[in-house]
Amino acid sequence: MDLHLTSEQTLLRDSAAKFIGAAGPKVTRGFREQELSFAPVRLREAGDLGWLGILVPGAANGLGLGLTELALVLEQAGRGLLCEPIGLAAISAAALAQGRKPHPMLDRVMAGAVLVVPALQERAYGDDPLAPHTQVVEKGGTLCLTGQKAFVCADGADGFLVSASGRDGPVLCYVARQASGCTLSTTQTVEGRKLATLDLADAPADLVPPHPSSRNAVDALHNLALLALSAELLGAMERALEVTLDYLRIRKQFGKLIGSFQALQHQATNIYIRTEAVRSLVFQTAANNDPYCIDPALAAAVKAKASEDALAVTEACIQLHGAIGFTDEHDIGLYLKRAILLSSLFGNAAAQRRRYIAIAGLTG
Amino acid sequence: MFRSDTTAEGEFRTKVRTWLEANLPFGLRGRTVRPLPAELMPWYHTLSRKGWIAPHWPKQYGGMSATLNEQIIMTEELARVGAPHLPVQGLNHIGPILMEFATAAQKALHLPPILAGTVIWAQGYSEPGAGSDLASLSTRATLEGDHFVVKGQKIWTTWAHHSDWMFALVRTDPQAQPRHAGISFLLIDLHSPGIRIRPIKTIAGDDEFAEVFFDDVIVPAENLVGKLHDGWRIANALLGHERLATSNPQTAMMALERIKTMARASGIITDPAFQDRLAAASINVTALSAMFSHAVQLTNNEHSLGPEASVIKIFSTELLQTLNELLIEAAGGHASAKNPVTTNFGEVDVAASFLQSRRVTIYGGSSEIQRNVLARRVLNLPN
Repeated sequence: MDLHLTSEQTLLRDSAAKFIGAAGPKVTRGFREQELSFAPVRLREAGDLGWLGILVPGAANGLGLGLTELALVLEQAGRGLLCEPIGLAAISAAALAQGRKPHPMLDRVMAGAVLVVPALQERAYGDDPLAPHTQVVEKGGTLCLTGQKAFVCADGADGFLVSASGRDGPVLCYVARQASGCTLSTTQTVEGRKLATLDLADAPADLVPPHPSSRNAVDALHNLALLALSAELLGAMERALEVTLDYLRIRKQFGKLIGSFQALQHQATNIYIRTEAVRSLVFQTAANNDPYCIDPALAAAVKAKASEDALAVTEACIQLHGAIGFTDEHDIGLYLKRAILLSSLFGNAAAQRRRYIAIAGLTG
Repeated sequence: MFRSDTTAEGEFRTKVRTWLEANLPFGLRGRTVRPLPAELMPWYHTLSRKGWIAPHWPKQYGGMSATLNEQIIMTEELARVGAPHLPVQGLNHIGPILMEFATAAQKALHLPPILAGTVIWAQGYSEPGAGSDLASLSTRATLEGDHFVVKGQKIWTTWAHHSDWMFALVRTDPQAQPRHAGISFLLIDLHSPGIRIRPIKTIAGDDEFAEVFFDDVIVPAENLVGKLHDGWRIANALLGHERLATSNPQTAMMALERIKTMARASGIITDPAFQDRLAAASINVTALSAMFSHAVQLTNNEHSLGPEASVIKIFSTELLQTLNELLIEAAGGHASAKNPVTTNFGEVDVAASFLQSRRVTIYGGSSEIQRNVLARRVLNLPN
């Protein structure tokens, strides 16, 4: 189903589509397993277009737009398999802007001159985002972080937004990559970029205070990350489906176009239905929530559904292509790999369902 | 969840809720099987007298001219209070069709009794040889002067044995190619000589279905709706709207509540494997709400849905079945009980609800037919 958009929103989507049109599978391929998995100049271009400050209020020089606009841009990023982490940068900018006085890094993050990414996860499964093991203590007027963050998209990052437990519960802190006591070790992913473990040993940090409308800065950023990743997963699903439908319309076997076979038509319909469900869920959530106070049960629901369905859809796309879909040469595998990575970040479908049970009071 | 009432809508909701609480007889609340006409129709008449029987009908025909949001509010409040399903063939199907395609005389004759609930309508589409392949229907209507002679059989006709009139698709041109070009839309008085009706008991134990036999039944020519041989277009005109209306997430939300009640009572609620599946189903109910709100928003803004409405039909009906499978699992040893299960948390209808849910992926175009429609008309896959 089409989205009901204002003319400004349509314009934004079209300009994002144009920007992402210059990316796509070929570019993505070129960045696989490189030292740096994206082009800094393109991140700055995204900054020039205002997208990294899309949620940042006008008073802090951002675009001051909402979640629908964020989702529209990130849906395009997913479609184009964009390598520049504009979603992570944009939600980090939103966090840096939320206090009474914006964090000094904000302007450069919005410009794309530096990259700040969230570092919220600690374990492969079962994290309670509001009860991190990483500790924050005050030493001589400075906040110091000690602990370990995992699965951080640290490629090209200049700083991190780290969740940590303090005396009064979870807080969000900014840590510079170059800070003392801050060590990164990276692992290569099949998707092409690296994930890092961030070790913090008394690393000096700045407090990132919560937005007046949010319960907690960690909660707000976590929920925002879940929605942002879901929008990107949605884009990847949509494009993978289109690529697959195109193939079904040209490939012949038994003297007929394979798209005329009912077994394949129904398989294609199933993944179309999944994609439509995720689209409605992402955009209805975006339209009915404010960036700094997304309903946590809804955020968990969206990420659970997007993670599960993006994998199911891109898996089916490989199957519908047959042997060619299993080759590295064909692009369809790139969408599956993007789905594997994004589905796993900030808690996969199973982890989100577990959180959802608790938050939504399903068993109470 | 994805839509909040405006002030005026909130007031409307309160008004509806208060009135329903005060006026719906307790014996009619929470029934999973539709009561028989003698018990049900007085409630229809009460709603009719209140002026609330046809929210979606225009005022000129005696309806409420309610906005789509007001219609949804009424559906939600009716579901909330556990109101029984009314016979809707008149209100939702033939009524709107007559408004769009019928003559002034036909409207004057048929619309008021639908509103008043003095006449019950049945839909005569399926035949023994024409189910999913509806265009192959063979019930013959031959025009002889001022009347048609109808011969043939209809089946799976909901409530035919309680109905007074049938709107039927009949074959008026046996040679037509494509076959749907030889079909007409006819109104048949079910009390006419030559009609025999036999109820059919379903797996759910009710006899909601019937088969109807026509043996040279005389039907006046003025009972034809629209032009001769133009019945297919008329029958299809309102399908998109019907699919949206039947995909309201309220039914799924109520099913979810039944599962939670049953799961608490049986103790399976503490089983992590069950919890995971309950979470997945609950998340899909949220997704259905999102799809429904999305579709309503488009309809409110005059984007007509067309064949993509099949997406919501498939999603909502398959989800309802998943939910009922969970209900059976939650019930454990109570799964097969014929009557509602009494628990410390209230009565839960288990087997009857589960069995009822098996029909939803079949009627109104089976899930497989809907997938064919999507594949060809939305995904543009080749024939």
